[in-house]
Amino acid sequence: MSHPEFEAVIGLEVHCQLATDTKIFCGCPTRQADGRSVADAAVNGAVCPVCAGHPGSLPVLNKKVVEYAVRAGLATHCTINPRSVFSRKNYFYPDLPKGYQISQYDLPICEHGGLEIPLKNGETKRVSITRIHMEEDAGKNIHMEGMSLVNLNRACVPLIEIVSGPDMKSSDEAGAYLRALHAIVTHLGICDGNMQEGNFRCDANVSVMPKGSTQLGTRAEVKNVNSFRYVEKAIDHEIQRQIEVIRGGGKIVQETRLYDADKDATFSMRSKEEAHDYRYFPEPDLIPLVIEKAWIEQIRGTLPELPEQKRARLVGELGLSSYDAGVLTSTISMSNFFDQALKLADKSLAKPLANLLTGEVARLINEETKEIGDSKLRPEHLAEAVKFVAAGTISSTGAKTLITAAWKTGDAASTIVDREGLKQVSDTGALETIIDQVIAKNPGQAADFKAGKEKLLGFFVGQVMKESGGKANPTMLQDLIRKKLSSI
Amino acid sequence: MNANTIRQVHDAFDQKKLSPTELTHEYLKAAKASKHNAYITIAEERALAQAKAAEQVIARDGRVPRERLPLLGIPIGIKDLFTIDGMRTTCASKMLDNYFPPYTATVVDRLEAAGAVTLGKLNMDEFAMGGSNENSAYGPVKHPTHSDRVPGGSSGGSATAVKAGLCLAALGTDTGGSIRLPASYCGIVGMKPTYGRVSRYGLVAFASSLDQAGPMTNSVEDTARILQVMSGHDPRDSTSAPRPPGDWIGALSKTPDWKSLRVGVPKEYFVGGLTGDVEKAVQSSLKWFESKGAQLVPISLPHTEYAVAVYYVVAVCEASSNLARYDGVRFGVRPKEALEAPDLAGFYKRVRAAFGPEVKRRIILGTFALSSGYYDAYYKRACQVRRLMAQDFAKAFEQVDVIAAPVSPTTAFKLGEKTSDPLQMYLNDIFTIPVNLAGLPALSVPCGEDSQKLPIGLQLIGPAFGDEKLISIAQAFEQGRRT
Amino acid sequence: MAQVDEALTRKVADLARLELTDVEVRTFTHQLGEILKYVDQLKRANVDGIEPLTHPLDLATPMREDRIEAPPRDAAGKPKILTSAPDVLYDGYKVPPIL
Repeated sequence: MSHPEFEAVIGLEVHCQLATDTKIFCGCPTRQADGRSVADAAVNGAVCPVCAGHPGSLPVLNKKVVEYAVRAGLATHCTINPRSVFSRKNYFYPDLPKGYQISQYDLPICEHGGLEIPLKNGETKRVSITRIHMEEDAGKNIHMEGMSLVNLNRACVPLIEIVSGPDMKSSDEAGAYLRALHAIVTHLGICDGNMQEGNFRCDANVSVMPKGSTQLGTRAEVKNVNSFRYVEKAIDHEIQRQIEVIRGGGKIVQETRLYDADKDATFSMRSKEEAHDYRYFPEPDLIPLVIEKAWIEQIRGTLPELPEQKRARLVGELGLSSYDAGVLTSTISMSNFFDQALKLADKSLAKPLANLLTGEVARLINEETKEIGDSKLRPEHLAEAVKFVAAGTISSTGAKTLITAAWKTGDAASTIVDREGLKQVSDTGALETIIDQVIAKNPGQAADFKAGKEKLLGFFVGQVMKESGGKANPTMLQDLIRKKLSSI
Repeated sequence: MNANTIRQVHDAFDQKKLSPTELTHEYLKAAKASKHNAYITIAEERALAQAKAAEQVIARDGRVPRERLPLLGIPIGIKDLFTIDGMRTTCASKMLDNYFPPYTATVVDRLEAAGAVTLGKLNMDEFAMGGSNENSAYGPVKHPTHSDRVPGGSSGGSATAVKAGLCLAALGTDTGGSIRLPASYCGIVGMKPTYGRVSRYGLVAFASSLDQAGPMTNSVEDTARILQVMSGHDPRDSTSAPRPPGDWIGALSKTPDWKSLRVGVPKEYFVGGLTGDVEKAVQSSLKWFESKGAQLVPISLPHTEYAVAVYYVVAVCEASSNLARYDGVRFGVRPKEALEAPDLAGFYKRVRAAFGPEVKRRIILGTFALSSGYYDAYYKRACQVRRLMAQDFAKAFEQVDVIAAPVSPTTAFKLGEKTSDPLQMYLNDIFTIPVNLAGLPALSVPCGEDSQKLPIGLQLIGPAFGDEKLISIAQAFEQGRRT
Repeated sequence: MAQVDEALTRKVADLARLELTDVEVRTFTHQLGEILKYVDQLKRANVDGIEPLTHPLDLATPMREDRIEAPPRDAAGKPKILTSAPDVLYDGYKVPPIL
């Protein structure tokens, strides 16, 4: 979308539910036995006096939450504040048991970081991260006829809120930032990153201003978007809406808008909201958090290879393109899969491996909306496939067939090759026999080729492939055919 | 009741002069018959069961196992601000008239684990907000000996119950003087330990950075015995000091080194407003210290004049937030008309109509002082002056070991005397509030009476974590003044 | 000093979800005014460079291990937390419809 007179200014606030075992201020579980979020477990079955805000109850901070917040801060190059303070955000709502949310206001745990995002033109751009702070989640309201039911299972589940600077100018950039951030938090293992389940939530602050202006326009906040695609669409819609309002002589109201995916539009929540006065003040039940340098360094030592480091390595050491590197590090499952396959194959086969992953496997992930881990595909399949291709046993088309079959059945690579008849004929003698047959059947074209019609080489390659039932090794054919044709 | 202290009771148990069930039965009888309105809930069956269990322990051991169960069979009353699993806890508010907590406060757990018998829940000012126990939704508490007067607040029920023989000892809480003031008015011992020495888990919060639980008893000795059981780190309370219980009982037998004891006398606490009898009693106590060899050192706590102002910003701000949870959703009374409200805001308002006027007043004041545009001028500034006051004390304790002062400018006043002017009521706390703001330990020990035989308490204030020394001094004072 | 008038009292009462009668609004406005006038003396204190004190104790942050503590259940196996709830339906806390 291009808007010649206007430019958009976008900031994103992402709430990540942290993948700890227990809530931030009490020992209630955050997950069910099967790993799914406790938010969907039996109603109010994971609630205690603390997270239900009973009189006399007090919060006690979960150490792992702090560790995960520090990890997030380190991975995004933030300053980890040695002293940070918890604050109360006061407002009344049924899913907020204490009538206040314990969050961080003046002094968050992490500040002044950033991350690089890939732009469509191949360059990268740095998006600043203003702050990361810890807070507790609220419960959930179940809406019914004439009433609502409050389920506090999710109350007090740990969150970190990652606030970017207003550095993005388009929905593409916003999408790239979200994907990069998502890759980081999943790589770190601190967040499951499942937007549908609500453990990676995004709110977008969008404003527009005349191109070249330095004065930011009034911004609107767009909430309730639970996929990358919808975030991009919501942002596009909101930018368009704001431009139309301004063009029509109107003013943008600072408000919260909800995105409706069905209508692909944002709607104002204004009538339901008054200006909130949250009356922040330091939480008296929690001592300010002091983090020792030694602990930060210890955490730094446990950080896994981050997506951007891995991308650099894939490009620098293995010679992959930055596009490939981007796809391969987009999810931790992709990333791990590639690593394991590479180990089983060879460094020299990195590019073919990458191609299969970014091509065939990505297609399957998309079509079947499954992760690799949910299919029957294993790293061995990939490794075998590229090794077979390198040895000439199967063609690159055959490799694709192999992968698709393995994805569905999980059978051993060699079994699939035999069953699907993927073995290509690479034996020179066998190929020459077929070539002879083809030349014999097409004397006219042979003569034309010899007379100078180079293009007919392709004709002969095609015919040999047909005669061989597609099994001839196509990479060998050109040279063999040329040799044969020149000898008649 | 001949046995007045824990030790005397245990002696009587050992000598088979008295049994736990007899004792508990006596107290229950007195509690039920009394007209003081000290109790909100009497837990008769449960108490008798606890007493019976105590009896079985004594029968099995042949004696009271005092080291293992230092409070075995001792009947205590618990201020209705502490949660007890399955026992009605009202905080003296209509809001919680039907509240049965799902868990027990740590301090109550510890007392009961030490063998104490919980007689019931004691009346108090609603949500601990008040200085006279006239703010209870269950009616005011009467002074133990002068029934037309207040016992002081907010732990008025606790003080009256102890003095009137309705329990052997009681648990109270002190946010701005709510243990020390009623102890002074009623003539008993009441101590607020250093902030953080006693767990606040299960203590329904009024002002989180000021609240502390403490014992109210007939003797310094019992105060020490109870604190020995109550105090010590609680992992469920993040504001709990990471220290073991301490040696309160050892402090009882430590005679103060009078010659080297420097008693600070803060000049700001002896200004006008102090009634004649109170001043006389406190001065006479100071002379007693001098007579033992201690040195009286005049000190200044220059920011004392701001104490009430700071408190009525900081405490009400924290309270306004702490009381937001009373919304009729998860616990508490929800009137029928609440669900008929036109919107959510209306629902909340109808539920929260159950608060009494003093509570409402403080919530409004606190909400105002935190609100946008006023935060810096009120809350932030009050917190800054709070630090100045803490610094006053820190400086003073470089020159002195303990500070002696009155608890209140007056003795117990008449019911209804101060209810029309909240500010007048607030000014009553002027000598007790600074201690909570600084988080220091302080106690009130009886030091005399006025012309109408109304008790007067002497306040002793110590440096942070210097509680045990206060016990030693108070013990010596109590014993010495008795003879 | 802040202008304490009835409009402000009503606004603050609303923020705190308290319903006041007209009489209460008048009384509280007056009392609030008196109290704030008294509190205003804090302006006289010199607080330059003074860090606000919010915790009397100078402590290191206590933290707990990420270990599950099973939520309490009553004798019937239901979440104990619901025992004191005013109105429960399908184990959820019932409230008016939230639009």
